[in-house]
Amino acid sequence: MSHGAVVTVRTGAGRREGRVVDLRDEDIDPERLVAAVRRDARTSREANDGGLAVDCPTPRTVHEHVGWVRPSMRVRVRTALAAAARSRGGEAPQDDELAAVRSELAELTVPSSPDLRTPRERVAGTDAAVERVRERVAALRGRVRAGREAGRDVAELEDELAEATRELSERETERAAAREALERAERLARESRDARERRRRLEDRRANLERRARAHLVERIREEYETALAAVPDGPERVDDPLAVEGSAAALAVGRVADLRAPVVLDCPIRK
Amino acid sequence: MLLVVTYSRGARGTLRNVCRTHEEVVVRRFGRVALLAETEFAAFQALRLREKHGGDVQIERTEPFNEFEAVGASVREAAAAYEARDESALPYAAFAAGSDHPDPEQLRETEL
Repeated sequence: MSHGAVVTVRTGAGRREGRVVDLRDEDIDPERLVAAVRRDARTSREANDGGLAVDCPTPRTVHEHVGWVRPSMRVRVRTALAAAARSRGGEAPQDDELAAVRSELAELTVPSSPDLRTPRERVAGTDAAVERVRERVAALRGRVRAGREAGRDVAELEDELAEATRELSERETERAAAREALERAERLARESRDARERRRRLEDRRANLERRARAHLVERIREEYETALAAVPDGPERVDDPLAVEGSAAALAVGRVADLRAPVVLDCPIRK
Repeated sequence: MLLVVTYSRGARGTLRNVCRTHEEVVVRRFGRVALLAETEFAAFQALRLREKHGGDVQIERTEPFNEFEAVGASVREAAAAYEARDESALPYAAFAAGSDHPDPEQLRETEL
């Protein structure tokens, strides 16, 4: 841990200063205290939330992982160690490519997918509707012909046939329009999917690069971390996989190898 | 069958979980794509996936391809003859040029 700057904590009760500030005698919610450390006291409107404010340098990413040490905490050790290595200026061979992929992703615009549900719903059943009316037209035609051959008055049947024929044409027009609308929506959907596919590939590439960069950074700092872990008071006695250690011991060991600018909130029993 | 294609890491993850949990509906899975059985339960799973991931999920219904229904004999014969050609480096356009086989432009312009 770096020899951090002096920290000023203002609480409802007053103001305290130092490299280490002991607040055990005050009734402060640790979560609020952590939030105050991570908040920029000069710009934030919340700076005076409940009269609690912490004046300290802006925390680095590693603080998100180990800045609030509590017994029940979960630490993603690899990610935290990579952030610790970064806090010390560590770099990975993947950094340039990673930056390029990230900016490509930031610039990528994905057209929103069109509403396909409405045109699908509209098309559904149009075939059956056309078929139904077509059968009715055929049946009426047959009856008109038979009526004429038998010399009966078919005027009423002819009216019915004309009506059915008109309905058939309407149904067919509706079906054609519905199909066209669906095709149009599907074309738009394809464009949107092309862009989504590009984004997915970039995201896969970013994840892969991030994994490799993390592995690189962890490897460089791992031994130091293992030494720090062995030195944690009341730490685990036997460790099979140091990267799988849980809880505050891992956080303290990561904190030891990191260059922490902002103060860490210790929310656990301390053995002096 | 139902063809489910995913277009994001999240949707791909859910598809993987669905396929693991309900092996019986999966006919085949290829990474971010799966072919599901033609049942209402498979349709339910596919729809659920689309509810969750919206435009990142595409569902299509496929049917087996029958070349005796979909295309004429000339296409089937051209495929067989081209695969039996002597010169392996010969492009199809050149192969078709001096023969009765359909030329590639004509094939491109004809829909199934």
